[in-house]
Amino acid sequence: MRITNAMMVNNMISNISKNQTRMDKLQNQMATGKKIEVPSDDPVVAARALKLRTDVAEITQYQKNVDDATSWVDITESALSNIGDVLHRARELAVKSANGTMSTEDQQATASEVKQLREQLIQLSNSTYAGRYIFSGYQTDKPLVDEVTGNYAIPSASTEVMNYEIGVGNDINVNVLGGELFDGTGASAVAGSTPKMIQDMDKFFDDLNTNNQTAISTLIDGIQSDLDNVTRIRADIGARSNRLDLTKSRLDSDEYNFTKLMSNNEDVDQAEVIMNLTNEENVYKASLSAGAKIIQPSLVDFLR
Amino acid sequence: MRGSFFGLNVSVSGLFSAQKNLDIINHNITNATTPGYSRQVGYQTAAAAIPMYDGTGMYGTGSVVNSVNRIRDDFLDYKYWSEAQSSGEWSAKNDLLAEVEATFNEPSLEGTSGSGFTAVFNDFYSSLQELSKSPADLGLRDIVKQRGVTVANYFNSTAAHFEKLQEDVNYRIKTKVLEVNSIATQVKDLNRQIYTAEVDGTVANDLRDHRTLLVDKLSKIVNIQANEVVVGQLPNGRDNVHFTITIGGKNLVDHFSSSEVQVTQRTTKLNANEDVANLYDISWKDTGAAVKVTSGELRGYLDVRDGNEGDNGSPNMKGIPYYVKKINEFVQKFAMSFNDGYVNGVDVGAGHADGYALNGTTVSGLKFFTMLGADGKPESSTTFIGGATTIPAQYSKLTAKNFSVSSEILSDSRNISASGSASQQENAVVLDKLIDLRNNVSLFGEGSAEDFMKSLIANMGIDAQQAKTMTDNQETIVKQVENERQSVSGVSLDEELANMIKHQQVYNACARMITTMSQVYDTLINKLGV
Repeated sequence: MRITNAMMVNNMISNISKNQTRMDKLQNQMATGKKIEVPSDDPVVAARALKLRTDVAEITQYQKNVDDATSWVDITESALSNIGDVLHRARELAVKSANGTMSTEDQQATASEVKQLREQLIQLSNSTYAGRYIFSGYQTDKPLVDEVTGNYAIPSASTEVMNYEIGVGNDINVNVLGGELFDGTGASAVAGSTPKMIQDMDKFFDDLNTNNQTAISTLIDGIQSDLDNVTRIRADIGARSNRLDLTKSRLDSDEYNFTKLMSNNEDVDQAEVIMNLTNEENVYKASLSAGAKIIQPSLVDFLR
Repeated sequence: MRGSFFGLNVSVSGLFSAQKNLDIINHNITNATTPGYSRQVGYQTAAAAIPMYDGTGMYGTGSVVNSVNRIRDDFLDYKYWSEAQSSGEWSAKNDLLAEVEATFNEPSLEGTSGSGFTAVFNDFYSSLQELSKSPADLGLRDIVKQRGVTVANYFNSTAAHFEKLQEDVNYRIKTKVLEVNSIATQVKDLNRQIYTAEVDGTVANDLRDHRTLLVDKLSKIVNIQANEVVVGQLPNGRDNVHFTITIGGKNLVDHFSSSEVQVTQRTTKLNANEDVANLYDISWKDTGAAVKVTSGELRGYLDVRDGNEGDNGSPNMKGIPYYVKKINEFVQKFAMSFNDGYVNGVDVGAGHADGYALNGTTVSGLKFFTMLGADGKPESSTTFIGGATTIPAQYSKLTAKNFSVSSEILSDSRNISASGSASQQENAVVLDKLIDLRNNVSLFGEGSAEDFMKSLIANMGIDAQQAKTMTDNQETIVKQVENERQSVSGVSLDEELANMIKHQQVYNACARMITTMSQVYDTLINKLGV
């Protein structure tokens, strides 16, 4: 093939520009730490990057949800524990009062303690978390029980379940419904009616005042059943809390795994890029020096 | 009998030949870098010999340069023109698809704070998740509202980018058409000059180079066929040769005349729902018939500007209208499911409109997303519904360009309908269902909302990658042909200089001959004692 000066110059320019293109790509990879810049660099990596980004964002969100659910459940648990203590005390007092050995003064003192316990129950039924009434179902802006009358202040159906999403299609119920807590399984709160637990307290108080020990004896079973109900719900809350802990640790490992996948997918191997860049740099220098040697001299330089 | 001064004349012809050759070399050297230039050589022959009838035979009379010819392989020119068309088409597509890629701004790899679809969509759903945990919180409601606006804005600005891009491409088409006309006129004029110059059988070397260079340029723009056709014989017995350039079978340049191509604005849009108005069609000025553009930059531009996978008779390519169609489909289906729980043609009863607003009111039936009305302001749910009876009919006018958050939500974030029944401020039943929609895989043919966008962006990446590869390949081929042409026609300085020395030496030798002849005559005239 006949080689002309223009050909040599053209080839040199195009080769050097190819070198530069490759160096530019590697330079970008070094600077950004990413394998690709636009989808066309590698559509598969790009599509995977989008998917993994969504996955990681979802996991992060679920982690937040689990944390919030845990706080809610913890607050509920402590309220339930207090309610349990109140009922224990009430039962103790009921047992003491039922055996007929109390003096009138003791009875009066007991009565006033029962009244206090009733007040405490009402307070606890209106427990709040961040300003929201935790037992009020969907109407967390309103207290569950009227502080004066001790009646339900709002209706709250047994279906008013609050669910937090802690995974795709994986919801956890975070609230305990007032109706179930104060009236037993499946019960709904009806506005204006008195919760069974409060009724028991009222009855205890009345029986003490009328010194009706037989009634108090029967009431022990009533309070016991209240207590059983609270224990059952506490067990349930405990189980939820446990589930949240497990979910949290699973999400933590998911986050790690997916972040790692994301990194494997789109991050460059720095060592490899540095190697390649150095290599390209050498090739570039070599082609420049070869070009300089080739295109400079011609016969002109040797004619006199 | 030979003439007395015959020897001098022979030497003089040598001087002339050497000078002419040096002139040609000079011309070659000065044009070594001229684009399109092909090297020229002088055809030197021995001058007509004088027959001697004294038994010595033919007497040589020196040398003569008969003609100056350019060295050119026409076949390589044809090859170059056909490859340049393809190269032009792919490089046009490559440039434009790179812009399409930039428009989507995905994947935004700088962490999770990007501005692409994924980031915007993730943010929107995070805010919904946060709200679902505390549906009465006005601060969180405002965040949901703002993130909703960001989602709408993302699509508005993407659609606006596509409109702008389509207009740009349209303008480029017009510019290229003007360039075609300008080249056609220049070629026509050159045809006249070349024809006139060549009538006597000489070759108009430099004019031909110039014409070939123009055809090179033209071949990048549009599919052309350039030919020299013999149309008869001239009175002097030579072939009467006309130079023609055709596009899709119709003459653009025919000898001394050229036809013009023109752009005309379309009266009806090719892609009724996706195109901007008044795009150009390319037609012949004389007949008004459409120009058959099958490759070259113009084809690339047309494909990207009009390509809608072959719908409506558009080019079978994923061009701008295709992406507009897809993002329109996305906002329509997404808004339909989000607002009305309308998934894949079925009302699943889990939309925003099935919920109740906050604040003890019984407001229901509100849509979260509507569109910008004719006045450019977000429409209310009622205005948006208009008189439409079916849900798909309500959304028929919704596009990515006018996608918006409804005026009710914008004016009061308490109108975000999270609750499943009235007056329950912590009820997030509807909101939970809206969140679940994100992973509903029946939403689109491609799967969930994000699957849809992911598939769109991956397909775009594949197309752009193909364009990139094809451009590289085609450029390599064109470069290869160009190198072959250079190999044949290019000026090699070494070669020219070597020839220069050769001719210089011939010149010197001829001059020496004259001296010798002069001495011979000196002897003859002065020394002979006659």
